[in-house]
Amino acid sequence: MPEHIGEVIAAATTEFQVQVYELHNTPPLGSLVKTADGDVKIYALVAAAETGSIDPGRQPIARGQEETDEADLFHHHPQLSQLLRTTFRALVLGHTTQSLLRHYLPPRPARVHGFVYLCPPEEIREFSQPLDFLHPLISVPGQDEIIAAFLRRAASTYLEPETFLLGAGKELAILLADQPQRLNALLKRIKP
Amino acid sequence: MSLDLTQLASQIQDMADRLKASERDKQEHLSHALNLLQASNASLPSLKDKVQRSKTTWLIAGLGEGLNLAYSPPPVPSAFTIIATDGSHIDVDRHGPLRCYLINIGSARLFYGKEPKAELSSQATPYWEEKELRLINPDNSNQQMNIEGSLLAARRSVAEAEAIAKLVAETSGPVLALLDGSLVLWNLESRDTPTFVREELLDRGLLPALASLKARAQSQNIALACYISFPRNTEVVNLLRLALCPYNPADCDAYCASKVPEDRACDSVARLMDRDLFAQILEPGQRSATFTSPSRIMRHYREHQMHFFYLQVYGEIARVEIPQWVAQNPDLMALTHSLLVDQCRLGQGYPVAISEAHERAVVTNADRDQFWRLVETALSQRYLPTTTSGKRQSKRGRWI
Repeated sequence: MPEHIGEVIAAATTEFQVQVYELHNTPPLGSLVKTADGDVKIYALVAAAETGSIDPGRQPIARGQEETDEADLFHHHPQLSQLLRTTFRALVLGHTTQSLLRHYLPPRPARVHGFVYLCPPEEIREFSQPLDFLHPLISVPGQDEIIAAFLRRAASTYLEPETFLLGAGKELAILLADQPQRLNALLKRIKP
Repeated sequence: MSLDLTQLASQIQDMADRLKASERDKQEHLSHALNLLQASNASLPSLKDKVQRSKTTWLIAGLGEGLNLAYSPPPVPSAFTIIATDGSHIDVDRHGPLRCYLINIGSARLFYGKEPKAELSSQATPYWEEKELRLINPDNSNQQMNIEGSLLAARRSVAEAEAIAKLVAETSGPVLALLDGSLVLWNLESRDTPTFVREELLDRGLLPALASLKARAQSQNIALACYISFPRNTEVVNLLRLALCPYNPADCDAYCASKVPEDRACDSVARLMDRDLFAQILEPGQRSATFTSPSRIMRHYREHQMHFFYLQVYGEIARVEIPQWVAQNPDLMALTHSLLVDQCRLGQGYPVAISEAHERAVVTNADRDQFWRLVETALSQRYLPTTTSGKRQSKRGRWI
């Protein structure tokens, strides 16, 4: 079992919020992550990340005017790593039940404090074929950057990335047949 | 509307106008006091002698090496640890369903050097058993005092010292242990405070914690300091009042009891505070000479008698209280001075470790309400009475 990178701190049916254990060390945009609810594995895409104060009443202030190196700032203020946290939002794309992959929402949301793992390349390949997951993603506005980021990352796990991206491009052309501008912008973002 | 601000506004304007008018007088008093400070420093032995023989109604700082000295901060060590504890409490609520109080101790242990790291934590403890709610005279069980109000504040101070002693015992030097506020439990010196209360809080509370710190201080290079921001003390100014007094020895009750304030010679500096004086003397980062605390309770502190000095940090004059074993050890004084200036630099003018300990300790009004709700829920789940006063219910309901 790979090491977990963080924990669910808020969960809804369609998305969950993850706090990573290491400050600033969030998975790249579009990474595929998973968490478990009993026997059900829930898959989600890293959609947006942020680093900020743990306490909403205390805001970070600039401290490094006298420092020459950013790393020195954390050395000289060791408490900062305890007061800040990095979180990311993960969009739920699918789940497994009885070892079968389903490209639709799970019956229950993820568990708060559930461990979150980064999916290895073989699991990303398995998840990205077929391309059914694209349909619910496309239907939500404002997710095109995340779709493109995931497709680029998924392509890198294939021996022939171009073939995968070509298939993804064709699928997008069908799904966005009535939105040529949007399709064009998306295709530019996944162009090898 | 609980407070009529329109009614207040004109009174506040008037207050500010009158303060503005008295500002020039204050500057004159300050200038006079500074001249006096230089003169008094030149005749230190005779002033010390006068202090010994006089009887004043105000507390006078014990004189050490001088009055107007200023020391620049020594260099900061390459690796060190700062430990701070701070406390909050929820006092006994006589309208509540259960007689109990809570002490929450926040702590910060910050390691600086090659492997910097931080440990921030808090420990909340509710006290509700009979033996925890009152102090009982072991020689006469009829004499008891409830732990609440100022007595609970003193108990919290002891808990903060005990917590810092425990953390220091697990840490290798150099270490600066920092507490927020004074360790002079002055409210125990009141004539109304029975001896058994003082013995419980001092002899079996604070002093063992200080002894534990002292035991490791010299071999491990560990210092303890209490940091007081924006101090309102006047013990050094009172030295000047004594120097101004035409009577030698001074005896306030004998010579000046019938005089109205402003008529006495010492009144020309009476409205100043020590921080006003040292703001004129100290450069950024500098500390004053050390003085001994004149509080009457000090006679019970044995080898832990508190000394103090003033420190100029980022535009503020702070008061730093230290036990005798720090004040008399030049290495520990250097450690205290250099690390406090460094902590204030890192914390934008206030020691960062105390600030973080405070953040862990603080109990908000919402926390207080939640605590009492938890108590009520736990009691009702066990079918125990949760009766509260009508006054409490009225405050909660706030119906019209």
